[in-house]
Amino acid sequence: MLEFIGPASGLLFTLENIFWINIGVFIGSVFAAIPGLTVILCVILFLPLTYQMTAIPGMMFLLGIYCAGGYGGSVSAILINTPGTPHAAATMLDGHPLSKQGRTKAALKIALYASTFGGIFSALMLLFLGPQVARVAAQLGTAEYFMVCLFGLTIIAGVSGKSMIKGIISACIGLLLSCIGTDPMTGYDRLTFGVGRLYMGLDLAVCLIGLFALVEILAKAELKPDALRLDAKKMEDNGVITKEEYKRIARPVLLSSIIGSLVGIIPGTGASEASWFSYNTAKNMSKHPEEFGHGSVEGIAAAEAANNAVTGATLIPLLTLGIPGDGTVAIMLSALMINGLNPGLSLFTTDGDIMYAIMLGLILVNLFMLLQGKFLTRLFAKVVSIPQEILTPVIVIFCFAGAYSVNKNYFDVAVALVFAIIAWVLRKLDMPAVPILLGMVLGNMTETNFRRALHISDGNPSIFFSSIYCIIFLVLIVVAVGTIVRGKLNERKAAQAAGKEH
Amino acid sequence: MKKRVLSLSLAFVLLASLLAGCGSKSATWKVTCPWAPSGVAAMVSQKAAAKSTEYSQDITLVAEAVKGDAATVNTWIMGTEANDTELVFAGEGLLSITSILDPAKLQFTYEDFVFVENLYSSVFVLSADAKLDIKSVADLKAYVEDGNEISVAVNGAMGSEAFLAAALFGSMGAGEKLKLTPYQSAAEAAQAVAKGETNFAVSHQSQILETYQQGGVTIVCAFDQDDITAGPFEGVEGVGKHGYPFFRNRCFIMARAGTDADKVSALKELYGKILADKEVAEWLQETMLLEVDTMSVEDVEDHIENVKNIVNEYKDIVAG
Repeated sequence: MLEFIGPASGLLFTLENIFWINIGVFIGSVFAAIPGLTVILCVILFLPLTYQMTAIPGMMFLLGIYCAGGYGGSVSAILINTPGTPHAAATMLDGHPLSKQGRTKAALKIALYASTFGGIFSALMLLFLGPQVARVAAQLGTAEYFMVCLFGLTIIAGVSGKSMIKGIISACIGLLLSCIGTDPMTGYDRLTFGVGRLYMGLDLAVCLIGLFALVEILAKAELKPDALRLDAKKMEDNGVITKEEYKRIARPVLLSSIIGSLVGIIPGTGASEASWFSYNTAKNMSKHPEEFGHGSVEGIAAAEAANNAVTGATLIPLLTLGIPGDGTVAIMLSALMINGLNPGLSLFTTDGDIMYAIMLGLILVNLFMLLQGKFLTRLFAKVVSIPQEILTPVIVIFCFAGAYSVNKNYFDVAVALVFAIIAWVLRKLDMPAVPILLGMVLGNMTETNFRRALHISDGNPSIFFSSIYCIIFLVLIVVAVGTIVRGKLNERKAAQAAGKEH
Repeated sequence: MKKRVLSLSLAFVLLASLLAGCGSKSATWKVTCPWAPSGVAAMVSQKAAAKSTEYSQDITLVAEAVKGDAATVNTWIMGTEANDTELVFAGEGLLSITSILDPAKLQFTYEDFVFVENLYSSVFVLSADAKLDIKSVADLKAYVEDGNEISVAVNGAMGSEAFLAAALFGSMGAGEKLKLTPYQSAAEAAQAVAKGETNFAVSHQSQILETYQQGGVTIVCAFDQDDITAGPFEGVEGVGKHGYPFFRNRCFIMARAGTDADKVSALKELYGKILADKEVAEWLQETMLLEVDTMSVEDVEDHIENVKNIVNEYKDIVAG
């Protein structure tokens, strides 16, 4: 590892990278602060821009958005009792009551410090644990990779929303879409219907613009303008956090960072699960559980440290196995692969200098998030009140420009529009879109490894049980599905309980 | 009044900036690479573009990569005319393999282009699982004659690597025993041998280098006429001298058919100077194990024809 730190630092500490980190952090904070605009939408909108960049600035930019999104959601949660992002919901329970007590700045500061600590803790986990996991990944063959893909598909259980069945149907649509293009095992075209541009398959970035970004615009068009207007509260307190409060938040911050990192490593679980789980743990361990839901500093710290501690850890399965921990990092995979960086051990050996630069960069991202949070929070708070009538046309322009710029082709703009319509219909049917994304990301990999393994074994399915790694992943699949389902039930119970107290 | 002065000043600045380019004699040629921006061709094209201003005051090359393979070239063909300052890459994959196996995919033929120069050449190698201890064509022949299993990892189901494997083992009389296992990248195919999933792999030299250095594979032979003369695989024997079919991977820089001959020759001259640059040649060899291999139109046509012959002869083995 040490041999890469020097060259990686040289690659990382350039003006270009610092610039893109700061732009990413700023955009991520702004997007996450505005209710209705999500981090995933932000990453999708700006993904085409990274296609014009090299790997390090491109990833730094996206990681800036991703990490700052973890913190930015807390701004509106604290100010207006509306979480900017779903994972800021737990923060809202104590953040807004503390704000109502006239301590808005203090609440925002606690959220910022806890987020920064959680983010840096997670980045260090990635730095030390990533290469070890990659070494194991290098020993995996085709059959083992198929089991890894199956394990990755368990994510669907975690992102299915209310109905697991609807989640699975959405995932199947994603898997079907991943079949469009040239059959990887025979070279013949599938589902292209004679359309020339389809034989290379659908471009993920273009589809996502339709699935997640344009559909939001359609959904906004259905709302009444009055419902879109928001007002930020003024921040007039001195923002002082007492020594006693610092002492109280130290333990939940550390514990939540550990919980967040562990949750982040497991595909399918994300920042929401981590923040609720940490919030409940902090409440159970607190000497003042009665304060939770009424402006507890521990509650804010626990939820925020946990949702940012997911950011680095979720990159571990992505960079080592190609399995995205959640929808947002699934998109980041394209930014890596467009630069010829394929997940696996070679990422930590052949391309070690680039990979270590990205991992070290994640620490830098969190530090710049702290700086921007300290000096620009007032601005982020003002952004909360930007009228949607102004934001929406800007996003539409970004969508179309982004779709065109991927391959500089109008065909892709049409594809994005078709996907927007599909997503709108699915939304009407209450079917989640994230499983479609995961199906599209994992579909090709799953199918290819499945068919290739059978090709290698001359059709004998025992190849899938032939090694200790296959058995381990089989066990992991069962455990992961069980844990996710149980976690979802607990999460629902906790949210209901917290809602009642609130 | 203030607004009028401001508007006039702005209009003047815009006009001046527009006219500023009119006096320049330099023509900017956009070079479209239809493969991944991170790939070898795109990287070499970037290097050539960076060097173009050093060797010419009249021509500036601007490299662009738009992945899409045949689809990108189709779009390029539809959007360009003779004498447009646009160039595109094409190789034996499009001109010799796809044109035979899936001609419906192509909205162009070789006649739609005019050849400028070959950007580089790459010699493929056959690697074997180190446990088999196969280090030469003679060892390989003995292995095949003993009736052993022949499974070869290749990049893509119907790519150049698959046809080279089919041509070699097919001409050894073992075409029916050959099992081609397609992988989604050359790196994956190279690793497959070391993991024991296949006995052999066909890949570019640079793609097998790391696995070779780790001792996972031996290098059996090179798909070239003569032995490799430089780099880490120096001395590896070429299959050509044993009478087996082969071809190199090449990247042809093409202009639109009908482009004036003087423009094409000026471009060829510029690429010739860039590729003759010692720094460029060393960079190609040391970082990607590629060779500078400038060619004439006749050489290109021979290359395309040679690959077409191999594809026609061995397509039943590859496509099944």
